[in-house]
Amino acid sequence: MQKKLIAIVVIAIVAVAAILVGWQLTQTPSPEARAIKIGLVACYEKAEGQDMDRAAKMAVQEINDAGGVWVEEWNTKVDIELVIVDTEDDSMGKSVGPVTRAVLEDGVDILIGGYTSSGTLANQVVAIDNRVPYIITGASSSLVTRRGPQGNYGGLAEDNQLRIEDEEGMSYMFHYCTTTADYSKTVVKFFAETMKPLLDSTYGFDSSRDLRLAILYRDDAFGKGVLADSKAIIASENLPIDVVVERSYPATATNFQTDLSVVKDAKPDAVYVVDFIAGTAEIIKQGQRDVGLNTVYIAVECCEDPQFYTLLGEYGKGQLLESKFAPYAGPPFYLSAIDTYVTDYQEKYNTLPGMMGADTYDAFYIAKAAIEDAGTVDKAAVRDALESTSIDQMLIITETGKIGFSTGVNYHEIAPVTFVEQLVWNEAAGECRAVIVYPDSAPGIDPLKQADFALPEGYEPGSP
Amino acid sequence: MSGIIETLLWGVANGCIYILLATGLNIIFGVMKLVNFAHGQLLMIGAYVAFTASTAFGLNLYLSILVAMAAMALVGVGLERLTFRRVLGTDKLNEIFVSLGLIYVFENAAVLLWGNKLKQIPNPLQGGGLFLDEVLIGYDRLLAIFIVVIILAALFILLKKTKIGLAMRATSQRSETSMLMGVNIEKVYIFTFALGAALAGAAGALYGILSPFYPGIGALPTIKAFAIIMLGGLGSIPGAVIGGLLYGIAENTAVYFLGGIWQDAIAFALLIIVLVIKPTGLFGEKGE
Repeated sequence: MQKKLIAIVVIAIVAVAAILVGWQLTQTPSPEARAIKIGLVACYEKAEGQDMDRAAKMAVQEINDAGGVWVEEWNTKVDIELVIVDTEDDSMGKSVGPVTRAVLEDGVDILIGGYTSSGTLANQVVAIDNRVPYIITGASSSLVTRRGPQGNYGGLAEDNQLRIEDEEGMSYMFHYCTTTADYSKTVVKFFAETMKPLLDSTYGFDSSRDLRLAILYRDDAFGKGVLADSKAIIASENLPIDVVVERSYPATATNFQTDLSVVKDAKPDAVYVVDFIAGTAEIIKQGQRDVGLNTVYIAVECCEDPQFYTLLGEYGKGQLLESKFAPYAGPPFYLSAIDTYVTDYQEKYNTLPGMMGADTYDAFYIAKAAIEDAGTVDKAAVRDALESTSIDQMLIITETGKIGFSTGVNYHEIAPVTFVEQLVWNEAAGECRAVIVYPDSAPGIDPLKQADFALPEGYEPGSP
Repeated sequence: MSGIIETLLWGVANGCIYILLATGLNIIFGVMKLVNFAHGQLLMIGAYVAFTASTAFGLNLYLSILVAMAAMALVGVGLERLTFRRVLGTDKLNEIFVSLGLIYVFENAAVLLWGNKLKQIPNPLQGGGLFLDEVLIGYDRLLAIFIVVIILAALFILLKKTKIGLAMRATSQRSETSMLMGVNIEKVYIFTFALGAALAGAAGALYGILSPFYPGIGALPTIKAFAIIMLGGLGSIPGAVIGGLLYGIAENTAVYFLGGIWQDAIAFALLIIVLVIKPTGLFGEKGE
C-alpha cells in the first residue's frame, strides 16, 4: 500500500515537473527574438521631417518603456529599433536610395513615413518590390495606395508610368494620412458654407454670385492633386465657387510676386495656397507685403507646424489653415489624447508639435498593434493584420472614432476628419495661435468649432 | 494691367541683382580668363553675411551691404591665393573642378553655420511703397535699383579713372605685354578676384533683402550669370548690364504671361535666340 502511494507521489511529481518544464520551455524567449526594425522615412532637412523624427522617437520610447511589442512566435516582448531613413529634401532623386538601403541592407520590418507625394511615389516602389509593409503618413496624393489594380490605378491612363501592375506588392501599402481629396473637400465646403454667406451679407453681394477662388500651387503631384480634386468637388457638388485663376510654380521657387500679381489681377475673394511650410508662408507674406493682395489665404495641413507660425509672424493674422491636428488651438484640446501628446512633446523638445509628427506617432502604435495581432514579424502576416486594424482613434480624428484601413477603390486609406482653423494674433506668444472655425462638430466631438470665422482686418473682396 | 507694371519693376530689380553677379563674373573671366562655377555661392555667402551683420550685430541694413562686400572681398582674396592661384594656367579642367568643389564647400559651410531654413534679411522698408492707381512700387526695390546704379558708377570710375583699373584693362587685353610694361599681374589677379567677389557679395545682400534665401540658392544664379555674359558679350560690362536687365524682365514677364514653370526656360530661350542671331552676344566683339 505504502509502495503504491510512493509510486503515485513519484508519478505526480514527475508529471508536475514535466508540465513545469514544458511550460517553462514555452515561456522561454525564442533565440530568434530581436528588436523590431522600423524605418522612419523622413526628410530631415525640413521642419516637417524633424517633427516626424521627434514624434517617432517619442512613440518608440513610450512603447519600449512599457515593455515593448509582444511577438507571440518569439514568446517575448521586444523593443522597437528606429532606423533613420533620411530622404534629405525628399525630392524624387534623393528619396529612393535611402529607402533601398533601409530595405536591403538594414532589413527593416516595416516602413513608416514619407513626405512629399512625388518622393513617396518614387521610394515606395522599393517597398512594393520587396514586400515591406509601408504605413505612409505623409504624401497626400491618393495614388500612393491607389496606383495599383486594387485602386483602379487611381484613374491613371494605361500608358502612365505611375501605374503599378504588382497587385501583391501594392497590398503592402497603407495610407495613414488625409488625401488631397479629403482636405480639398473641407476647404471648398468651408468657402461655400461659411465664407460665401459672410461675404454676401457683409458686402451686399447677390446670393447668385459665386465665391471667387484663386488656387496657387506647386508644380508637382501634390499641387496638381489638390487642384484637380478641388475642381472636381466643386463641380460634383455644384458648389457656388468660381475658380477664377489657377497658377503653378516650380517647387524650388522662393519668389512668388509675379504669380501673386496675376492672382491679384483676377480679383479673387480668397486664395488657396498649396505648398509646404516655407513656400506657403512666403506666399502669404509676399502677397500682402509686396503685392498688396489683402485677401483670405488658406494653407494646407502640412503647414501645421511651429515653423509656419514663426515664419508668418503678423502676416498670419486672420488667415486660415486646413488641418486635422490642432496643437495651437488649445489647451484644452478637443481630444484628451492631444493634451497628453502636446504636453509630453513640449516637455521633451521644448517646442510645440507639428501635424506630420502626429500621423507618425499614431503610425508606430498602429504598427505595434499589427505585429501583436499577427504574432510574428512575417511581413505578409503583418500586412494582413494591418488590413484588419481596428483600434481607437489617437491624435487624428476619424469618422468612426476607430482607425481602420478601407479595402475598396479608396484602397488602404483611413477616413479622417479635417477642419479649418483661423489664426489670431497672440501678444504673449509674439505670434499667431489658432481657433477652429469649421465645422461645428465632428463625430463624438461636439462642439469642435471654437469661434466664428471673421474676415481679416483690411480684407478686400474680389470683383462684385 | 497693374500686374504687368509691377512685374516689369520686379524684373528690373531682379535684373539688377543679376547685373552685379554677372559683372563680377565677367571681370574675373575678362582679366584672369578664369571660369568660376562657384560664383553664385559667393552671392549666397554674401546674403548670409549681410543677414548676420544686420540681425546678430544690429547693423543698419544698407551698411550690411558694405560689410557683405568687404567680407566677400576677403573671401575672394583667400580663394584666389589658396585655390585658383595654384591651378591658374594649368589645364582648364583643373580650374573647373576646383570651382565645382568649392560649390559643395560653401554650401555645406553655410548649412553648418546658418542652418538650412529659409531666411530673409529684415527690412524696415518691406511692405512700404508707392501706390500708383493699383500698382504697388516697393521702396525696397527702388532702393535696390538705386544701390546697383551707384555700385556700377563706382565700378566705372574704378575701371576708367584709376591706375588699378587701367592695369586690369591692360591685363584683360594682353597679360604678357602688361607684365612687360611693369604691371604686377599677381596683384591685379588678387584685386580682380576680390572685386568680383565683392560684387557677388553686394548681389547676395540685395538678394537677401528682396527675397528669402537658403544655402542652395547659388546654383541657378551662376548659370544665369554665365548666360547673361554670353548674352551681353564676353568681357563686356555694358553687355552684362543690358543682359542682366533683359534676363530679369524676360523671366518675370514669362512668369506673368505663361506661369512660373516657364521662368527659366524663357530666359534661356532668349539667350539661344540672341546667340543664333549674334553669336558674339549683344556687345561682344569677334575674337574677344
